[in-house]
Amino acid sequence: MVITKIAIIALYTTAAMFVGILFMGIGRKIVARVHNRVGPPVYQGFIDIAKLLTKKTNISHGWIYDLALLFSITGIILTILFLPIGGVKLLSMEGDAFLVLYLLAIPALGFALGAGASGNPNAAIGVMRALVMMLSYELPFVVTLIALMIYYDTSSIAQIVEMQRARWAIMIPPFVLAAAVADMALQGMLMEAPFDIPIAPHEIASGPMAEFGGKHLGTLMIYKAGTIVAYTTLFVDLFLGGGVVMYDGSLLAHIANFAVWFVLIFIVFTLSLLINTSFPRFRIEQAFKFYWKYEALLAFISLIWVYLVVIS
Amino acid sequence: MKYEDWNKISRIASRKSLWVLHFCTGCGAIELPPVMTSRYDMERFGMGPMATPRQADVLLITGYLTVKTLKRVVNVYEQMQSPKYVISFGSCPINGGMYWDSYNTVKRLDRYLPVDVYVGGCMPRPEGVMNAFLKLMELIDEGKARGWEKYQKYYEQYKRNQKMAFNFGGEENEGA
Amino acid sequence: MKALELIEKGEEMHGRAYIKSDRDEVSSIIKKLKENGFDHFVMLSCIDWIDENEFELVYHLWSYEYKEHVMVSVRLPRDSPSIGSMHGLFPQIETYEREVHEMYGVDFEGNSRLTPFLLDGWRDIPPMRKDFDSKKFAEDVFDNIPEIKEEEDEGI
Repeated sequence: MVITKIAIIALYTTAAMFVGILFMGIGRKIVARVHNRVGPPVYQGFIDIAKLLTKKTNISHGWIYDLALLFSITGIILTILFLPIGGVKLLSMEGDAFLVLYLLAIPALGFALGAGASGNPNAAIGVMRALVMMLSYELPFVVTLIALMIYYDTSSIAQIVEMQRARWAIMIPPFVLAAAVADMALQGMLMEAPFDIPIAPHEIASGPMAEFGGKHLGTLMIYKAGTIVAYTTLFVDLFLGGGVVMYDGSLLAHIANFAVWFVLIFIVFTLSLLINTSFPRFRIEQAFKFYWKYEALLAFISLIWVYLVVIS
Repeated sequence: MKYEDWNKISRIASRKSLWVLHFCTGCGAIELPPVMTSRYDMERFGMGPMATPRQADVLLITGYLTVKTLKRVVNVYEQMQSPKYVISFGSCPINGGMYWDSYNTVKRLDRYLPVDVYVGGCMPRPEGVMNAFLKLMELIDEGKARGWEKYQKYYEQYKRNQKMAFNFGGEENEGA
Repeated sequence: MKALELIEKGEEMHGRAYIKSDRDEVSSIIKKLKENGFDHFVMLSCIDWIDENEFELVYHLWSYEYKEHVMVSVRLPRDSPSIGSMHGLFPQIETYEREVHEMYGVDFEGNSRLTPFLLDGWRDIPPMRKDFDSKKFAEDVFDNIPEIKEEEDEGI
């Protein structure tokens, strides 16, 4: 039993990374079409990672620098394992909404270690901005999560997915506002414009990734693919029913659920890409003000609305 | 002989996703934005601009180089990770070009850095630049783009030439 | 022209005012022009009159109010060219003076930043002087740097 569970976990993680790398390539194609040009082929993500992992020389700045990437990758793999994908629960348990929130902070720790060990001042400034960005988007996101937990009376993400069988959360009026707030927080989590100031190539020479090259950069791209899948799956699980449409546990049900999950995360990812191509970048103080003034206000309004709906 | 036993996948991956660091001094810097944007799109070959030398594969020398800039370019080239390639634009790195009798520009870049592809012109048009990228991909495929191995092998000769240029032909002095 | 009304010793040349002065008066002339509307400093250029054995320094000023261009010119002896620095009046003159010092060898008293600017490690005479043979220098220095000799068995 344990062996099969471990095998299923390994299969899931690999499949999630595979989907993430595919999305990176499809994303570049979509952005290119918006710019009215032909883009790279959709499997370009795989070629990039293959090229990076087969570089002949790899410059390292010490053992902390080498280990820092393991923090990021471990954090994101753990996050994927706690989210139900297409209704299949791997390690879900009671109270894992709080655990996922805690796990969201671990990759930033890895970045901070890696940037500090590399000794580049651009990396240090980039990491400071990344941490400020993380601090700022967490407030509205946590408030919408609390709204969901109050409405469904549970603190497990798998339970929230189960209880959206009748209708998805986004079809309930107060959650339309909460979903809009969470989508903006998703932009910050994925580090897409207008919130991509920490990794901007023109501003601070790509921030924390300034000294990464060769195999380290290849690992970093795998991490980025993991974040795309993890964060969009989190949004889909909380607001769009997790992609579960058939409940009888048969093979056909699993296939249908995975297909719907794939389509839903693709739609959420495309939406974030289209916002990416249309907007310039915010400075870090503008991003902070946006999240803590306007988004927090909307999040609190939705929280109060949900509470009124619940007690009535 | 030793290059032929290299992993073929590594060469295909290297050819189809070249990341470019454009060291934009000299007049060729103005020819790069048209190549990168919608009209002569270079991203369809997988090429893209990168921010730092650690992340890039190709160094573009876009025009003439003064002695002061050559010091910095050598620094940048040595920070890149192999396999790495150099493309030079214009006729100034080939034989001095318009500045053939100037006191401050290097005349033949080949003596200081190993160059893989030269593009002639003053400045070449974006079609010429695209041709150069495709030629570099062809050379990588055949296994002939080995500038970085040359730099490692003849390192003392390159360093001696660079020092002679930095000191304007004389001995080491305090002002250098 | 307004500049010629302010300073009586000039003449008009190709639509611009041209004022010849000595090295003792040039500072007060520029100060007077700056206080009367000519507050944009354009350039400092230097000409090597090798046959007359003199350097000519020209200070270019522009006025947005009157839309006039003024050139204030000073002649210095070629053997020991030196003049007081004007960067108290316009702070950006410091960089122009560094360039003229490096390219022509003119000494500016009071400018504390006459360090090597564009030519790192230069040991010859200042290169923009007319008795510097640039072609011969380029041939001596750059063409003598040898090519990279490769061993024959590589055949790259």
